[in-house]
Amino acid sequence: MARMKFICDAERCIECNGCVTACKNEHEVPWGVNRRRLVTVNDGKPGERSISVACMHCSDAPCMAVCPVDCFYKTEEGVVLHDKDLCIGCGYCFYACPFGAPQFPQAGAFGLRGKMDKCTYCSGGPEENGTEEEYRKYGRNRLAEGKLPACAEMCSTKALLAGDAEVITKIYRYRVVTRGKGDEIWGWSMAYGGSGKLADQPGGKA
Amino acid sequence: MKRLASATAVLAAALWLGGCTEVAQEPGKSYAGKLDDKAYAGDQFKGDKAKWEQALAARTENQNDYRRAMAEKK
Repeated sequence: MARMKFICDAERCIECNGCVTACKNEHEVPWGVNRRRLVTVNDGKPGERSISVACMHCSDAPCMAVCPVDCFYKTEEGVVLHDKDLCIGCGYCFYACPFGAPQFPQAGAFGLRGKMDKCTYCSGGPEENGTEEEYRKYGRNRLAEGKLPACAEMCSTKALLAGDAEVITKIYRYRVVTRGKGDEIWGWSMAYGGSGKLADQPGGKA
Repeated sequence: MKRLASATAVLAAALWLGGCTEVAQEPGKSYAGKLDDKAYAGDQFKGDKAKWEQALAARTENQNDYRRAMAEKK
């Protein structure tokens, strides 16, 4: 059986936020909740990289381990989901998650936390597939329609890959081998002439 | 002495390889919530798992732009 995972290729991500927008739109995620977001390192400096982060559907998920009400489960495809009818919004999963995936909508005045919300790999939750109830609680179930998550399918540079871990790893590996490594993949020589090394460009530091 | 060294080496190798074992995919804890439908159980695939897997595999492979570019060249 396929094991569904995400890979974000930091060399390709152009920080367009298309994945974030696609996710927000697909599931009508409420204001203040971000199932997916972009993280940029070395912002504005040569060598800047961005990466799209959401729930990584861990093989050994720490959120599942810490949940006091056991509301998490894993599907046949390895997608980590939870039952919102059971969630008490305690926030333990948020502290356990290394990716900051669990999100908590504000459920009222005084910062009261609502039930946890996170990336569902576009596969809904424990409700009948494709029903209004499923959409209201968990968002659209694209997997049941034979589609991949909206964020990956919407990615313009195909930086974000989704699907069976073995297949997307092969795609990524082929890319890495084909494009080479280091400065040459930035295309300095194509853009500005001269060598492909960043250090040789005016003002560039290795 | 030699025997002890080889036994230690075997033990070290076993421990080293032990780090390569894959964590079980089955959840360690029980799930207390509602049971979910299978992804292929809806109206579209009507329980046909093979058809559903085929549809997903085609979508996944479509993300390989090198392959797409080569197909367009031909």
